[in-house]
Amino acid sequence: MTMLKIENLHAEVGGREVLKGINLAVNAGEVHAVMGPNGSGKSTLSYVLAGRPGYEVTKGKVIFLGKDLLSLSPEERAATGLFLAFQYPVEIPGVSTTTFLKTALSAVRKQRGEKELAPVEFLKLQKEKMAQLGMDADMLKRGVNVGFSGGEKKRNEALQMAMLAPKLAILDETDSGLDIDALKVVAGGVNALRDKDRAFLVITHYQRLLDYIKPDIVHVLTHGKIQKTGGPELALELENKGYAEFTGDAA
Amino acid sequence: MKFSLQQQAADEATLPWLEDAQKLGEQPAADWVKAMRHTGAEAFSRTGLPTPSWEGWQHTHLRPLTQTRFHYKVEPVKFDINALPSSLLKDAARIVLVNGQYKPELSATPEGVIVMSLMDASVQVEGIEEHLVTVGDLATAPFKALNAAYMHDGAVIIVKDGADITQPLEVLFYNAGDADKAPSLQPRCLYWLGKNSGLTVFERHAGVGAYFTNIYTGIFLESASRLKFYKIEEESAAACHFSYTVLQQQKHSSFEGFSYAAGGRLVRQEYQNLLIDSGISCNVSGVYLLKDQQCHDFTVLTDHFEPDGTSVQHFKGVIDDQARSVFQGKIHVRRVAQKTNGNQLNHALLLSEKAEASFKPELEIYADDVKCSHGAASGQLDQDALFYLQSRGIPATEAKSLLIESFLNGALAEVSFAPAREVYEERIREWLGH
Repeated sequence: MTMLKIENLHAEVGGREVLKGINLAVNAGEVHAVMGPNGSGKSTLSYVLAGRPGYEVTKGKVIFLGKDLLSLSPEERAATGLFLAFQYPVEIPGVSTTTFLKTALSAVRKQRGEKELAPVEFLKLQKEKMAQLGMDADMLKRGVNVGFSGGEKKRNEALQMAMLAPKLAILDETDSGLDIDALKVVAGGVNALRDKDRAFLVITHYQRLLDYIKPDIVHVLTHGKIQKTGGPELALELENKGYAEFTGDAA
Repeated sequence: MKFSLQQQAADEATLPWLEDAQKLGEQPAADWVKAMRHTGAEAFSRTGLPTPSWEGWQHTHLRPLTQTRFHYKVEPVKFDINALPSSLLKDAARIVLVNGQYKPELSATPEGVIVMSLMDASVQVEGIEEHLVTVGDLATAPFKALNAAYMHDGAVIIVKDGADITQPLEVLFYNAGDADKAPSLQPRCLYWLGKNSGLTVFERHAGVGAYFTNIYTGIFLESASRLKFYKIEEESAAACHFSYTVLQQQKHSSFEGFSYAAGGRLVRQEYQNLLIDSGISCNVSGVYLLKDQQCHDFTVLTDHFEPDGTSVQHFKGVIDDQARSVFQGKIHVRRVAQKTNGNQLNHALLLSEKAEASFKPELEIYADDVKCSHGAASGQLDQDALFYLQSRGIPATEAKSLLIESFLNGALAEVSFAPAREVYEERIREWLGH
């Protein structure tokens, strides 16, 4: 089943065209990697899909689970089952992590027409998911991402993803700022969520992350377009040769 | 010739405000009360209301006040008893003032606390005169002068030496407006805490319709006494509220004041905190939530006379629509007031393009061994944080509320009494519309 279908997507940021005709289809159960150098449009693609203000779609369409994704507000996209793990998670002083998780989960469940979780069930779920990610309960009382290390921030993203149980998770440069141990933990969290009904779009510059989150399909994105699509071997090829072939720069 | 013209203009401007004060002449009163009224009326007739050219009045314009003629009434006010709001806390004692008039039949007093009307106290309590006298220069404070001219209504609250009152006291000012004859209310209140005593007060201002309330509050804290003073200003949307609080603190006393301001059309809450001895702690903080055309002004002076004092002024405001806020805060540290620790912080969150916040933060320091800081800033909601919350499924309005609440929590942290914090949180949530 096609979960996400992107057709001829063009988008501008601050009047500059960054995405210049993206075509991409992701089926349920698949893990797609989108690889590209800096400035290729990787993060723009993830923000456009999540609905960030300031990222203007000028052409094309995106169908997600049969819905016109681009007509939905960011919160409706989340409720429909889209999740973006941020490259730079935002700090929100004064809002505790647990309040944030509870508010998000009940908002999403409400929009999905599901019953709100009883406080006991919520705490149980939170505890279970935190244990899987090796997180300290102390973090729940702190402001969202405030004073978190790079690793803690990414674990927090993985925790939110586990709690919200999306249909499609977009991981935007999840490996940036992580040491190898933190990377393994976060990747473990992602892999625990892999299932035939769920898909992943893993956006990364480096092959390293893909050693831990094994993709089914790899796309190369440069100059705002998908230049090549292949199997996992394409990632290894890029690791050896770099992006020069696709960027037009001499290696 | 020129002089007499000016004089005439001043008379025309001040006369309506003082006219009703003559009615008080027919009432029995102590000579010193009569003298204070006279001094107040005289001072006011010389200045009239402040204009934008006055120091401290550049940003708060009085048009909502001056375009209505308000009437002072000395007779007991008629009101609908069912309209009184229910108590804030179920375990608190409550005293009620309606249109500034103390209503003993609606009031209950915690054990150890003496409450009486201002006029009763003026003849019954020994040494009350020096506690009821208007502090400061009337020539620069017309609202103080006006209140003095009408000295009659209000209440006196006294805690005896050594009495540690655990039951909170709610002091409700309920104001009933009148469409035909908008009332002018001029109550004067005194909180007088004896040595080593303690009290927790919720002072709440609420009402219906149009009225002008101009309150003078004296707070007198004797040595080592402790007052927690939680104000809730939720006046009617058409009301003008002016309050002048003069706090006089003796050695090792502590004052924890917090003010929630969300009501009224035009409001100015002015504090003059006089830390006249050493080792005093004084916290005057608050939150303000404004919308529509509201204008609110916090003007706070904290004056350190002696060493080892600690003072805080911590305010956070949220301003929507075309509302305007003014914050004028000053920490004054006199030459001998060494080891003073003074902190002032004011942040305003502007929710609309037409909302406005003005700040005048000041430190005036003459001692050389002090720690003082100030900061003031206004800004908008953090769009990145908003998107982050929305991307987790939280609807935009709820996400905004969450961010606003968390912003205000910064100031609410100054409130040490949990039930007070809950009262404020509930009101903030209500203001945010859920």
